[in-house]
Amino acid sequence: MKELIIGVSGINAIDNPGPGIGVARSLKEDAGIKVKIVGLAYDAMEPGIYMDWIVDKSYMMPYPSGSGDAFIERLLHIRKNYGLDCIIPNLDAELPVFIKYADDLAAHGIRTFLPGMEQFKLRGKDHLDEIADKINISLPRTKIVTSVDGLLKAIEELSLPVMVKGSFYKAYRCFTTAEAISHYHDLVAEWGYPIIVQQVVTGDEMNVVGLGVGEGNSLGLVGIKKLSITALGKIWTGVTVKNQKMLTAVAEFIRVFKWRGPFELECIVNGDEVFLIEINPRFPAWSYFATGVGINLPSRLVRRAFDLPVAPVPDYEAGKLFVRYTYELVTDMSAFQKAITKGEVP
Amino acid sequence: MQKLSQLAISSEGFVFNPTTGDSFQVSQTGLEVINGLRDGKSDDDIAERLTATYEVSLENARRDLADFRGILKSLGLI
Repeated sequence: MKELIIGVSGINAIDNPGPGIGVARSLKEDAGIKVKIVGLAYDAMEPGIYMDWIVDKSYMMPYPSGSGDAFIERLLHIRKNYGLDCIIPNLDAELPVFIKYADDLAAHGIRTFLPGMEQFKLRGKDHLDEIADKINISLPRTKIVTSVDGLLKAIEELSLPVMVKGSFYKAYRCFTTAEAISHYHDLVAEWGYPIIVQQVVTGDEMNVVGLGVGEGNSLGLVGIKKLSITALGKIWTGVTVKNQKMLTAVAEFIRVFKWRGPFELECIVNGDEVFLIEINPRFPAWSYFATGVGINLPSRLVRRAFDLPVAPVPDYEAGKLFVRYTYELVTDMSAFQKAITKGEVP
Repeated sequence: MQKLSQLAISSEGFVFNPTTGDSFQVSQTGLEVINGLRDGKSDDDIAERLTATYEVSLENARRDLADFRGILKSLGLI
C-alpha cells in the first residue's frame, strides 16, 4: 500500500496540550496503514517538532488569519516539496480556513475530513441551545450579551456565581459582578463579541470523543470522566464511562446534524441530568485514550478519507484508566536552529 | 436494583460504577450485602446470612444493613 503523508497540527505537547501528538501516535499505531507524519507548527518550541519517533517532518506555519492565502500557500509548498496527502487540523482557530479551502486543497490532492461551515458555526457557544434541545439534554441557563448593560442584566437574572465565556475560547467562573465585568472586557478584547453568560452547574465533568461520517452515522465514540485536572482545567487522569444518556445524546448529535469529522462533546453530569457545556469541532488532546481502549479514531478517519477498509465500530470497556505523564528529551540545538532559520525540521 | 447490577465489582471489593465513573472500596461484609441485594434477596435474608458468617446479633446485622443501605442510597445506587 502507498505510504500516506498526513499533516497534523497542534503538536504543542505542553501543559495545555494540543491534540496533535495523540492523533499522530494513533496513526502510527495502525499496522494496516503506512503513514508519515508532517507536523504543522506555529512556534519553534512546540515539542512535537523534536519528537522524531512520532513526527517525521515538521514545518513552521504562518497563522491562519486574514484571508488564509499565505496559510494555504504554505500547505501547497509542503505538498510539492515533501508530500502531503491528508491533513487533520487539531486547533480551533485553523478550522474556518481548512473548511473554507477544503475543495481547493482536495483539488491539489490534499484530503481533509471536516464538517461544513454551517455545521461548524452551529456548534458555536451561542447556538448550543438549539443542539441541546434537539438531542434531548439540558443546557445551563444561558444569556448572550454584547454590552456591559446586558452583562449586568444577565447576572441579575442568573444570580452569581456565573460563567463568563468567550464565543470561541476561555471561560471564567465569576463570583462577583466586578470579576464578571473584568473578564467580560478581557474576552471582548481577545475574542470579540458575543459573550456568553451562563448559570454555574455542578456535577461530574464527562466528555465524549467521536467521529461522524457526515451521513448521520458514527465511526466510533468513547465517553470518559475526568478524575483529575491541571490548574488550566486539562485532564490529567480519567476513566472510561458508559453513561447511556450522554452517549445516546451524542449519537443523536451525529444523526440529527449529520456531523462529519472528529469532535469532542463536553458535558457536566449530575445524576440523571446531562448538561451540554461545549462542542469542539476537532479531536481533543486526550484522543489517544480512545486509541488505547481499542477505538483508533484518527486511523478510522484516514481510512475513511481514502476509502480504505474501516472495521465495524468497536465497543470499549468502561473502567479503563488514562494517566498523563511528563517526559523529557535531549536533542541537538541544530533542530531548533533549523526550525527558526529554514522553517522545517529536519 | 438496576443500578447495583450495573456495577463492576472485583473479588477484593473494589467497586466501579460505569455510568458515573465513581469507584469505591467496600469491606467483605459490604460486598456480601451488595451481592445479596443484586441477587434480589430480602433484608432479612441478608441479615440472617451475616449472622451465620460473622459473630453478630441479628439486631446489629439489621441495623448495620440499614446504615449501609443509607450509604448506597446517598450514592444514588438504590
